[in-house]
Amino acid sequence: MSENLKIIEIEVLRYHPESDREPHLEVYKVPFTDDMSVLQGAQYIKDNFDGSLTFRWSCRMAICGSCGMMINGIPKLSCETFLRDYHPNRIRIEALAHFPIEKDLVVDLSGFIEKLESIQPYIIPKEPRSLEQGEYLQSPQQFNDYIQFTSCINCTLCYAACPQFGLNPDFIGPAAIALLHRYNMDSRDGAAEERMELVASEEGVFNCSAVGYCSVVCPKHVDPANAVNINKTNAAKDYFLRFLSPKGGSK
Amino acid sequence: MEIFKADVVIVGGGGAGLRAAIAVAESDPSLKIALVSKVYPMRSHTVAAEGGAAGVKKPTDSFEYHFHDTVGGGDWLCEQDVVEYFVRQAPIELTQLEHWGCPWSRTEDGHVNVRAFGGMKIERTWFAADKSGFHILHTLFQTSIKYPSIKRFDEHFCVDLVEEDGRCQGVVAIEMSTGEFSLIEAKSVIIATGGAGRVFRESTLGGIVTGDGMALAYRHGVALRDMEFVQYHPTCMPVTGLLFTEACRGEGGYLVNKDGYRYLQDYGLGPLQDKPKNKYMELGPRDRLSQAFFFEQQKGRTIEHPTLGSVVHLDLRHLGEAYLRERLPLIYEMAETFMGIDPAKEPIPVRPGVHYTMGGIKTDGQCAASLKGLYAIGECSSVGIHGANRLGSNSLTELLVFGKVAGVEAARNAKTAAPGNSANLLKQAQAVEQRVMALKTKSSGTERISVIRKEMAQTMEDGCGIYRVEKTMQATCDKLAELRERFKNINIDDKSSVWNTDWLTAIELDYQLDVAMAMAHSAINRKESRGAHQRLDGFEQRDDVNFLKHSEAYYVAGSAPRIALGDVKITTSQPAARVYGAAGEKADQERKASHV
Amino acid sequence: MSKRRPYVRSMDGWWKKNPYFIEYMIHESTALFVAAYAFILLVGLVRLGQGEAAWSGWLDALKSPLSLTCHVVFLVAILYHTYTWFKIMPITMPPIIVGGKRVGPEVITGSGLLAALVASLVLLGLVWRLAL
Repeated sequence: MSENLKIIEIEVLRYHPESDREPHLEVYKVPFTDDMSVLQGAQYIKDNFDGSLTFRWSCRMAICGSCGMMINGIPKLSCETFLRDYHPNRIRIEALAHFPIEKDLVVDLSGFIEKLESIQPYIIPKEPRSLEQGEYLQSPQQFNDYIQFTSCINCTLCYAACPQFGLNPDFIGPAAIALLHRYNMDSRDGAAEERMELVASEEGVFNCSAVGYCSVVCPKHVDPANAVNINKTNAAKDYFLRFLSPKGGSK
Repeated sequence: MEIFKADVVIVGGGGAGLRAAIAVAESDPSLKIALVSKVYPMRSHTVAAEGGAAGVKKPTDSFEYHFHDTVGGGDWLCEQDVVEYFVRQAPIELTQLEHWGCPWSRTEDGHVNVRAFGGMKIERTWFAADKSGFHILHTLFQTSIKYPSIKRFDEHFCVDLVEEDGRCQGVVAIEMSTGEFSLIEAKSVIIATGGAGRVFRESTLGGIVTGDGMALAYRHGVALRDMEFVQYHPTCMPVTGLLFTEACRGEGGYLVNKDGYRYLQDYGLGPLQDKPKNKYMELGPRDRLSQAFFFEQQKGRTIEHPTLGSVVHLDLRHLGEAYLRERLPLIYEMAETFMGIDPAKEPIPVRPGVHYTMGGIKTDGQCAASLKGLYAIGECSSVGIHGANRLGSNSLTELLVFGKVAGVEAARNAKTAAPGNSANLLKQAQAVEQRVMALKTKSSGTERISVIRKEMAQTMEDGCGIYRVEKTMQATCDKLAELRERFKNINIDDKSSVWNTDWLTAIELDYQLDVAMAMAHSAINRKESRGAHQRLDGFEQRDDVNFLKHSEAYYVAGSAPRIALGDVKITTSQPAARVYGAAGEKADQERKASHV
Repeated sequence: MSKRRPYVRSMDGWWKKNPYFIEYMIHESTALFVAAYAFILLVGLVRLGQGEAAWSGWLDALKSPLSLTCHVVFLVAILYHTYTWFKIMPITMPPIIVGGKRVGPEVITGSGLLAALVASLVLLGLVWRLAL
């Protein structure tokens, strides 16, 4: 493998809160093979040049959602982005946009986690069922209604792609709303109405101006923009139906 | 130091930890639960499980079949009473998960579907496409949010247990974002930290799978049981080790050598089958398939790839693109993204890689370890259902079934046990802080973490691979002893407090070295071949007279572990020849006839 | 004392940082041309109500070189707006299922563009016939 070893320059946005006033770029020359991901490039730097380079990673197979970064300005999972696709040009990696940087490539995700928690991301049964009664039945149609929105790996690339989140960090944002939509669309769940207040709130779907970039960068084809925009319609319907029925309009 | 007083603390936020947390919350909402995890729970490695979870579903299936598949698959090193409980609880827990929203794949009539899996007599693997672990983990994480009594300590790294009068009374953890220490007091401590496969080189595992909890319990005198049994998954991506699920074969994929020959028919798994047939050919157990690869390689019948090394082909082409996209979407994408291969058009090069640690923290059937107040569940534990070789899709079910058991038991214990002496526990925690800080602040070290880690992984692969001999195992034991020494001279580049992963990686390496030693010494001590432990140096046969026993590794500070042998619980299944394919079917019929 | 000091990056000039955002801003700003043209038509309507002289004046104004140049610019902007509007349409609507299969985004965008084209041609035809 060593005969086809090439060198790529990786420019990393570094920030150490205890010693740096603000982030700055540092360049590393990394030898690589064609099968090496950007994540492996970062690991190479940490293992061989500077152990203090800090980033999250785990599964290496684009399912744990840890290793999102801005790669040449585009939010991507670094484990499934390959150095060969950038060579011989320099590649720049930075912490995911729109989040506060904790250190180097690690961002503060606590706000995102709070949003996930706020949307009641669990089945609130429409009809309770005991374990003895076995599973709920779901037709292929009912299954297809929500399955796409279950694929989110919480990598938050969509937040790094959403300027509205950048401008208003309180916006619940694409992934959390997609998850909310996932539960609303599940035939086992009966709590869409409970979740409507949040959908229509100041932090809710109307922050979205349909930029649509969140769906472009989503590595799992969840299409969060679709979830957000369907819920705009739902919220508008609910608002107007409230005038007609005291119960409101949500299903 | 921050102090948090909980009733139950759970270390590890993967499938097992989350299931336990929910069980505690449901058994008594007044109990305070601390869930400590070094990553956000949905990053835990449960997420990467692909194929599915086993539980009797079809009318043609039975608990007895599942029991026999599991015990035979484990080469009779299972705790049979525990397996009996496990197979009965399995469908209940899988249904519970369905009620919580897990998107199990379904049949046209709306019921949960099941697929075939290696070593299983009847289709009984519940699956969510090929992202079963992902869906199980996210379902559990999201469901756990419903319970206000679960307080999560996300991105907190556990560095030690505290104990008093022979009782475990809490844990010490580092908040990764600040580098500050916390003492979490609790009357019950559940360890659910997953496996340790990253001590090997080529593995399917995430970077976090470093055996932390195993090392913690081990250092506190709890035995690590059956650590020599390390599962090689037969179909992994070469170099990276990434997993191509067994479901590839369950759905009908073939394994072929360089001649396009389905070589498994030469290894007691035949005769050849066109359609997937349970316990035949590609649906044999993982240990047998990985071992067959080894012999194909010896015979020069593997494919020598210019950059990937020796491989065989996983051929899915005959299944067609549409079917593959529906049943194996992740596999399809992985082949495309990582290897530039369209599996509907080309076969996928694969070879075995380390996947699972059958052994772990020794517990009884109620998940209790020998240290009072301490419980262990999931891959880090050895409750006794996997024996010498785990069957694919038993482990996802395990973390549900025993996650619940541990949660209920820990809750019961927390309600009766007395709290520890806080001043005393704090003193212990401060000593821990001093010790762990010293690793970072000392300045004289010269060894790089990555160098020791690589040497450890290489020597584990050399000595504790698919086939083992005394000489290389001894070399591995010696090398590990050397690395243990060199670790004392480690250098940590990063001296800061905030998000110091350099420091945490060193602590992980410390854990890994202990676990690796337990594995290597357990292996060299087992002078027979059983399940995933296969020897080529005069111990090629199973030896039930001397080794129908569990290995138990006990920690000895500054030295090699002490290895003891423990009894195996046998209820209804007496050890017999472990056969698959046509021979397996014949043995099955004979067993049935003798029962009538 | 925590040593955390999360660094918040500025959002200044965010839309220049990514070609996708630039396209989005152009899309949004071309909406101004749509509005402006609606306003011009509205003025025409008002002038029509004010009598023949006013109406003729408005028509003459439309024929000026400046107006013709503006029309070309407006046409380009509105065409771009139409294109990008239909391009994001698939993400804004619930899934459409035909024959058990979900209709793809390119089909939705294509049908939208086709509908716009047909509507424009019909309108053009009508006006053409009136003018004859």
